Amino acid sequence: MTKRTQLALATTLVAALALGVTGCSDSDKGKNGGKPRSNPAAANDGKILGGTPVKGGTLTVLSNQDFSHLDPARNWVMPAMDFGTRLLYRTLVTFKAEPGKAGSELVPDLATDLGKPSNGGRTWTFTLKDGLKYEDGSPIKAQDIKYNVERSFSPDLTGGPDYAARYLAGTKGYTGPLEGKHLDSIKTPDDKTIVFELNRPVAEFSATATLPTFSPVPQAKEKGTQYDSRPFSSGPYKIESYDRDKKLVLVRNEHWDAGTDTVRKAYPDKFVVVMGLKGGQIDDRIIASAGPDASTVAYADMRPESAPKVLPKADVKSRLLAESQGCTSMLQLNTSRAPFNDPKVREALQYAVDKESVVTASGGPALNEIATAYLPSSLTGGVQADTLKIAPSGDPEKAKELLKAAGKEKLKVSLTVSSGDKGVAEALQQGLGRAGVQVVIDTVDPGAFYDIIGDTTTAPDMTYSGWCPDYPSGSTFLPFVFDGRTIKVKGNSGNYSQFKDDATMKRIDEVSALDDAQLARQGWIDLDAEIMKKAPAIPVLLERKPLLIGTNVAGAFGHPVWSGAIDYATVGLKDPAKGQG
Amino acid sequence: MILYLLRRTAALAGVLLAIAGVTFVIFYVLPNDPAAAACGKTCSPERLAVVREYLGLDRSVWSQFTEFLTGIFTGRTLGTGQYAVQCDFPCLGYSYENSLPVWDLLMDRLPVSASLALGAAVLWLVLGLGAGVTAALRKDTLADKTLMVGAVAAASLPVYFTSVMLIYGVIRIAGLLPYPSYRPFTEDPVGWASNLLLPWIALALLYAAIYARQSRGSMIESMAEPYIRTARAKGMPERTVVVKHGLRSGMTPILTIFGMDLGGLLAGAVITESIFGLPGIGRLFYGALVNSDQPVVLGVTLLAAFFIVVANLVVDLLYAVVDPRVRY
Amino acid sequence: MTTTAAGTAPAAAVPPGSSPWQLARRELRRRPAVRISLTVVVLFVLMAATAPWLGALGGWSPEEFDKSAVDSYLGGLPIGSFGGISSEHWLGVEPVTGRDLFARVIHGAQVSLLIAFAATAIVVLVGTAAGIAAGYFGGRTDAVLSRLMDLTMSFPSLIFMIAMLSVAKDVNRILLITAVIGLFGWPGVARVVRGQTLSLKHREYVDAARVGGAGAWRILTRDILPGVSGPVIAYTTLLIPGMISTEAALSYLGVGVRPPTPSWGQMIAESVAFYETDPMYFVIPSTFLFLAVLAFTLLGDALRDILDPRGGRT
Repeated sequence: MTKRTQLALATTLVAALALGVTGCSDSDKGKNGGKPRSNPAAANDGKILGGTPVKGGTLTVLSNQDFSHLDPARNWVMPAMDFGTRLLYRTLVTFKAEPGKAGSELVPDLATDLGKPSNGGRTWTFTLKDGLKYEDGSPIKAQDIKYNVERSFSPDLTGGPDYAARYLAGTKGYTGPLEGKHLDSIKTPDDKTIVFELNRPVAEFSATATLPTFSPVPQAKEKGTQYDSRPFSSGPYKIESYDRDKKLVLVRNEHWDAGTDTVRKAYPDKFVVVMGLKGGQIDDRIIASAGPDASTVAYADMRPESAPKVLPKADVKSRLLAESQGCTSMLQLNTSRAPFNDPKVREALQYAVDKESVVTASGGPALNEIATAYLPSSLTGGVQADTLKIAPSGDPEKAKELLKAAGKEKLKVSLTVSSGDKGVAEALQQGLGRAGVQVVIDTVDPGAFYDIIGDTTTAPDMTYSGWCPDYPSGSTFLPFVFDGRTIKVKGNSGNYSQFKDDATMKRIDEVSALDDAQLARQGWIDLDAEIMKKAPAIPVLLERKPLLIGTNVAGAFGHPVWSGAIDYATVGLKDPAKGQG
Repeated sequence: MILYLLRRTAALAGVLLAIAGVTFVIFYVLPNDPAAAACGKTCSPERLAVVREYLGLDRSVWSQFTEFLTGIFTGRTLGTGQYAVQCDFPCLGYSYENSLPVWDLLMDRLPVSASLALGAAVLWLVLGLGAGVTAALRKDTLADKTLMVGAVAAASLPVYFTSVMLIYGVIRIAGLLPYPSYRPFTEDPVGWASNLLLPWIALALLYAAIYARQSRGSMIESMAEPYIRTARAKGMPERTVVVKHGLRSGMTPILTIFGMDLGGLLAGAVITESIFGLPGIGRLFYGALVNSDQPVVLGVTLLAAFFIVVANLVVDLLYAVVDPRVRY
Repeated sequence: MTTTAAGTAPAAAVPPGSSPWQLARRELRRRPAVRISLTVVVLFVLMAATAPWLGALGGWSPEEFDKSAVDSYLGGLPIGSFGGISSEHWLGVEPVTGRDLFARVIHGAQVSLLIAFAATAIVVLVGTAAGIAAGYFGGRTDAVLSRLMDLTMSFPSLIFMIAMLSVAKDVNRILLITAVIGLFGWPGVARVVRGQTLSLKHREYVDAARVGGAGAWRILTRDILPGVSGPVIAYTTLLIPGMISTEAALSYLGVGVRPPTPSWGQMIAESVAFYETDPMYFVIPSTFLFLAVLAFTLLGDALRDILDPRGGRT
């Protein structure tokens, strides 16, 4: 998915510096300009903070914004997906609630196993567990999952993952179940069995089934667009009240049976999400951890300007999670026209960019690392490839030479960024300026950002955006970002470089068809290196997700799949008595 | 009088209509495509077209506008099929962002903005008029000069500076108040006031100076009038003279300013609400703007204009009460 | 936020005999507070006008990064006390980028004052023209213009400015901000001028000119315009601080100038978050904004007392 997290974050008025932070593992630290200092934010990597929680109490979540969507058919923004699937609805398959690598292991959730492929991977069959119930005690049926997958096609219910539309057979022209039409490619022979017919073999459909699209919504509870404010619970909590943009209160769903759920621990009795707070105030409150604030966790990333209040203090630093987000932020070059239709010019830019400045602008090396390849380290075994070996602050002299060779010594190009990425844009502007490339920055509202850069008729010369894998597989990354066949005139997404390269597309098809996971992984890594040489985009950053937790919080860790957000399945309190109210 | 009221009400409706028209054109013609924003990341052209039709964006601006206007009074049905939603009077449409009726969103936020505006207004009237009258009665003394320069200085401080300093001093360092989070007056009057105290002070400091200067000028002028001498000669207590005769005749210009200030503030103080994190109309507006949520933007603009126009009307009517010379 | 309300039309007029400038100069010399604020205003204007040269004195351009001045591991906090004030960086540096604050404040003054002056110029020109036309021609012209003034004043101006700026792309921001601020400011001046014109219209000397066969244009420029210039000058000076604050507010809300251009509002907006960890960064642009607004207000007050003794109070 695109880094839509940014959209939400930027709604804080003073989006001065950084927007969000997207992260990565600390394994390629050695390359970081040879700085000997160890990363003060990386100390808690892969750790569970606060020990094992005690059951009970109220855990408060402090947020700067409302959830974009909690309707499972529409939920496709990173931390909201984590929140929804861990607390409110269960999916066919889900990820283990563990930090580090173990977190990307799949486990059955509503289903008894990870799904049985047949017909060469074109048909997938899932069987539901016994004793699954909704919040009103009624049983969860396979038909309800089919119904929610169908809902994701509805034009009224926008915003959700479109994997169902990509993978399912016979979906052309289908506009959802609201007018009574249903899909033939999903079969429910009985209440416990659901069969998906796909349009091509998909080896990793088990992982696809972790998305909120594959959670149950009973047709009787359908409320169209209004469902967003009151999703019907199949998870351990249900909504007690939801005051949009202000407060969400979750209480226990008494009909959820822990015996059917290996992942969710459901420690607190109650979750309260307080929304619309200022980012800096969230940090101050959790740092102080006074009274009820001790039992709070941050939903919003720690602001970079709070770093001096956190990193030098051991006791506060020990309450900072800063897990890799597993996303790569890139400077995408518009290859459809001059000057970036010339690979020489694009190569020169690879050398001109000052990634070190961008790191500082995004919160510093404690919270970011320099990216040296497109695939984030989570997809390449913890270490990113570095095929070009360019210094972190770039090589403006070499860039000048390359530009001279291409006959483009004086360049003036436009760069469009989301308004929260202004600092990053200025850092890029400054870096490229050293090689004689003049950059004109346009900042646009996050809400309009993807709209503007996705319109190929008005797309700027350069854009800065990120891509996060939806689950740990190269197939959710490179094909979305570099496959020329996905380019759309309007509403273009992912391939903002408008990169259309026959060799690349051929290779994408070959790797996608591999059913050996190990071979496919190496295939994506090799393809990554190939594309780097053609430079349709310049990987810039791998970001972390800095989140503060209160002194009374236990069982908190950043989950690798949900871009380092706190796994709500296991978080709780040390002393529930302190977290009452 | 009745004729005057009718004429003013008609003018009021006309002004609102014109503002609605201008706002509509600006936000529905300019480049942002709300359909694309609503459709999501990987929106196919076909799906985009369906969404656009669903939102009614495929029709001409004029037909959208007339439908919006009639919809305010007659209500409208939005969406298609079985789960279409009925939007009743007064229908300002539905938010693209969270599918809630714009009217409900506005009414939900109004108490916050109104509490902020009214509380601040009381404070700045007390501060401003107090300082102004005090200065006027001690014209050209050191106290007068100090008060007036102080007032100008307070008004010159950027509101973000005052707000941040208040948060830092009172909340972070002294720990006297909690971080502002709005509590309804009906549920918790003490919590309501203590949470709003700092925002009130920040806003009042900004406005008080204007009132101080204005009331000082009026007072000096009216205290020199012959009827004041008459009142004093009749042995009226000085207090009554000052309040009843001096202040009252100088109220007209103050009322004018007050009407405009309060009218403008009722629909949200964008910066103050954002700094203090208060969920008022100003924040609703800014959030809607960032997300291209045009129905909400339009709703807030109309509500804001409504308050300004009504405040002006009320002020004009009040002239008759304050100044006996005014007749309609 | 800071759009101050306009006083209503003045009842009495300045004696047309003596030039307002002569009056002003004579009076200004007598008041110490005014002399100080005048000095501050002149300094700021000089600073803005000579920004490219003055800013270069510190040796840094406003857009130049200095990685060595910030600690990238501490969220980019400036190295050294008081926000990194040193012989290298006279007012310290901006956190994260290490850009020189001295250079940015000076260049920011240029942008902020340019916008404020240009917007004021628009407001005064349009307002005076509309006010004179409405007052002098009366009848239908007056009715139409007065309705237009009422309508413009009924617009929730700040909300509208933010909205208009946020939807407009690909345009010169400084021009756009100026135009948008100007658009909502003119009725204030127009009302003052209209009232003044109404009272001048039937003065004997104007009637005399009319009887003498002078055209409307001649009467307007020779007889009416000088008569209204006093209150207009006073009103203009009082408008400027409001304009500076409005520009700052818009930049604060993120719809102001385009990066890396500095303006005071933009600098304050970015520094608010650092008020605790790097207070100097926050205090410096705030102080400049405060001083500018204060000086212009005091000067305007004094000018109003002299040139339009009743205008401000009625």
